Amino acid sequence: MKRYLITISLFVSFGLLLAGQETDPFVSKCVLSAGNDAKYLKDFRIQLGKATEQNDLRYKANMSLWKNTKYRFSMCSTEDSQGQLILSIKDDANKVVLSSYDKNSGKTYPFVDFVCNKSGIYQLNYDFKDGQQGSGVGIVSMVK
Amino acid sequence: MKGKIIFLTISMVLCFSCRNSGTKNAEFIFPEADSIPLSEAEKLSPEAIEDIAKNISSPVEIANLLQMLEVPFSQEYLAASIDANKESTNFNKAMKLGILGADLGYLNMYEKTGSSLDVLSSIRKLAEDINVGQFFDFETIKKLSQNKSNLDSLLYISIDSYEQIDNYLRSNDRGHLSSLLVIGVWIEGQYLATQVVNKFPDKILRDRIGEQKIILNDLLLLIAPYCNNSQEFTSLCKDLNLLKDKYRDVRITYTQGEPVASEKDGGLVITQTETSVVEMTDEQLKELIEFTGEIRNRLISND
Repeated sequence: MKRYLITISLFVSFGLLLAGQETDPFVSKCVLSAGNDAKYLKDFRIQLGKATEQNDLRYKANMSLWKNTKYRFSMCSTEDSQGQLILSIKDDANKVVLSSYDKNSGKTYPFVDFVCNKSGIYQLNYDFKDGQQGSGVGIVSMVK
Repeated sequence: MKGKIIFLTISMVLCFSCRNSGTKNAEFIFPEADSIPLSEAEKLSPEAIEDIAKNISSPVEIANLLQMLEVPFSQEYLAASIDANKESTNFNKAMKLGILGADLGYLNMYEKTGSSLDVLSSIRKLAEDINVGQFFDFETIKKLSQNKSNLDSLLYISIDSYEQIDNYLRSNDRGHLSSLLVIGVWIEGQYLATQVVNKFPDKILRDRIGEQKIILNDLLLLIAPYCNNSQEFTSLCKDLNLLKDKYRDVRITYTQGEPVASEKDGGLVITQTETSVVEMTDEQLKELIEFTGEIRNRLISND
């Protein structure tokens, strides 16, 4: 019985620590999945219904990215999402500089490392693959 | 054995059910041009203002760059003279909350977490004074700092606390305080970079200072609606406009190129071959170092 109590205490302590530490466990799990070498910078929390028509990626946000920095863009989708979260980034001239989804091969990458050599304000575009419904988070970290 | 497993499973469910599982929803579109004239600033939508604020506030990027360049940590760059108990106006409280946020980012990035407790206490006091203390998870950040545990969790919680404060202020008609918070973070980051480049002249750091020209117009957009609110706001607007003047002849040019892609560890790696090039004379840099120092030291004084 004593062993059970100790075990419960440990789990309760761990659970409370996490509860206080992370306001959103899904986001924090995604933050940690970015890797030990990644330093958290920002997150974008995305929840979208099914798209009525196939247009551009629907969730848009601007972010300044700086030369001589390697960024990691990690994408996590909740289990009940119909499609995987994907990302495309455009520069200030509206030119696509990266996409986590390769239309030709149909391959979706869970993260993209971007070696930035041009400082500026970029547009981050998120959506779920094929305009599906879903919830997810995009994490931006810095890596060495 | 089966009983033990059920027992442990129930314990785990009980523990984890305490945690907030909500996923937040947000969707917004930003105007295409980022160089909107200041007279247009008041017409910007709240979403656009929010986007500008989020775009600027990154209290750890300069610190990360310094660490990458192997610049040693120095306590002397910190705003040690701030006394949270002596601040009387909300302007000062919000501005200094931003400045200390950048200092916290610097301390965290260098894992000087033992030294961050004083800064944390001041942040808590200032946050409580402008009624946003509930968003700053002081105890957890303190615990993570003392344990020197996962740096990423510490950065996440610290930055997330600031973002929650910023969002709350903005959505409760206290956008003026949110703007001060964001500008405080930026000024302190700029101060850190300019002080370091003075001692450790480095091309990358020098360029980063020159590139802040890109952000400065956005900062002016954020503060423009409040420039006539009080003498303090008027003075800040004047300082930022003078700083903008000092950046006027700093040139940023671009070279063309196509991104190069490869795969690594199951992810995609994109190397940008387009580049930005900063043209800034020593004299221009000197003026930026001096004027940034003047603004920042005026802001942290307890007068």
